[in-house]
Amino acid sequence: MKKIFIFQLILVLFVIAACKKDFPMDDDGLLITNRSDCYVSAFELLGADFQTVRTKAATIDTTAQTINVEVFYGTDLKNLYPQFSLVIDAVLDPKIVGKVDFSDLSKPKEWTVVSGNRKVRKTYKVYLTVKQ
Amino acid sequence: MKKINFKILMSLVLLALCLGACKDKEYAIPTASDKLQNDLIKRSLGPNIVGGTIEFAYAAGILPEKGKLTSMTVEASIAGATGTYLDHRFYNTNNSGVDVGTAVGDPSVTTGKTTQVTYTGDFSAATLRYFYKIPEEARGKNISFTFTAKSSNGETISYQSGPHEIRNMDMALDLVAKDGTDFYLSIADMKMYNATFATANPDKIDLVYLYRAPTNVTYLHSLVAPTADPVYLPTFTMPTALKNKTKIVKAFTVRDQQLARLQFGVFVDDVDLRSKDFTDAPDFAINMRAEGGIWVQTADGKYNAYIYVNSVNNTTKEMRLSIKRLTVR
Repeated sequence: MKKIFIFQLILVLFVIAACKKDFPMDDDGLLITNRSDCYVSAFELLGADFQTVRTKAATIDTTAQTINVEVFYGTDLKNLYPQFSLVIDAVLDPKIVGKVDFSDLSKPKEWTVVSGNRKVRKTYKVYLTVKQ
Repeated sequence: MKKINFKILMSLVLLALCLGACKDKEYAIPTASDKLQNDLIKRSLGPNIVGGTIEFAYAAGILPEKGKLTSMTVEASIAGATGTYLDHRFYNTNNSGVDVGTAVGDPSVTTGKTTQVTYTGDFSAATLRYFYKIPEEARGKNISFTFTAKSSNGETISYQSGPHEIRNMDMALDLVAKDGTDFYLSIADMKMYNATFATANPDKIDLVYLYRAPTNVTYLHSLVAPTADPVYLPTFTMPTALKNKTKIVKAFTVRDQQLARLQFGVFVDDVDLRSKDFTDAPDFAINMRAEGGIWVQTADGKYNAYIYVNSVNNTTKEMRLSIKRLTVR
């Protein structure tokens, strides 16, 4: 009788373990969630000295998917470090791994925000102007 | 019955153990060695640079009834430059926080690699400070020191220190750049020059200091290479002979302690200068601020340098700067 009871208990534990939900991860080991929100909430731009080069807060248009930044006169545009703040669970593609060359002002740089569920993608263009 | 006796016995043993564990150990004053003893600390921090000073504090002592100190000697593996000495005083800090020295003998005598203070007073213990001025011949080499104390009872004791690596870089402190007068900087010479010298020696000029206060933009104190775009040279015409395209990378939190002489424990070393990446570096640095700096590579690639801005003055249109420079080619 006792043996049967233990067997049943083990069986129940197995069933519970089997019912546990899997948490899917992306290639970077980040959690894929149910969130479909997909936007940039803040944007920073640092110079080679890791100090901000913005003259004022960046203007982020989440509808037009644009970011407009005015930088100081004399900013070294070839060696800038952009920093994006995104809605929760979203990721940026491509990743920013070092300094970025913004010197060609006629060609805005583009980054794509991917939502938490990895199903919504929105490409933002970053426009720089130099204070004159 | 036997079982009960055993239990009682075990309880008593346990109780005795507990009581024993709670007993305080009596403190015993350590017995001082009756031999001559010594100790050493290195007081100076950061990379050892030619022209700079390495500072030690060497202490020795013996029980008064055993004898007195008779001399302290320091032998360096490479003779120090002029200015090397062993302070003949030890110091106490008074109530005002000022170090007050007490002489133990005459000032030190340096002969070749050896510096010595001979005690003339009645001292059984003292700490003397040793200042080793790093000579040119030590550049890039390792150096070591032997500190020796002697006492009147014939005892001798020594303390070895090192090896201490002497860096290859050079350092220049507190150059004053003044807009309109001495505003041409030569990294090779680590000096500021005026327009006459710059025109006569254009190859030597790597940077130009300018102070401007235009209305719409912030320019203020700037360091630009002779090749900088004229847009970064407001109301200034660069002499045509100046052609050096110096590479510049701005820095802000690199407050090197030897250059800044502030509280920050940051040191720019040979390896930092050697490994600095100047790919795509511009040839201008606009709006330099105090405690900021720039990494610089000369146009011929011979020197990498770090220039720290000690202070700026908008009224006198001046910048005080200090440099660490490494020959890389």
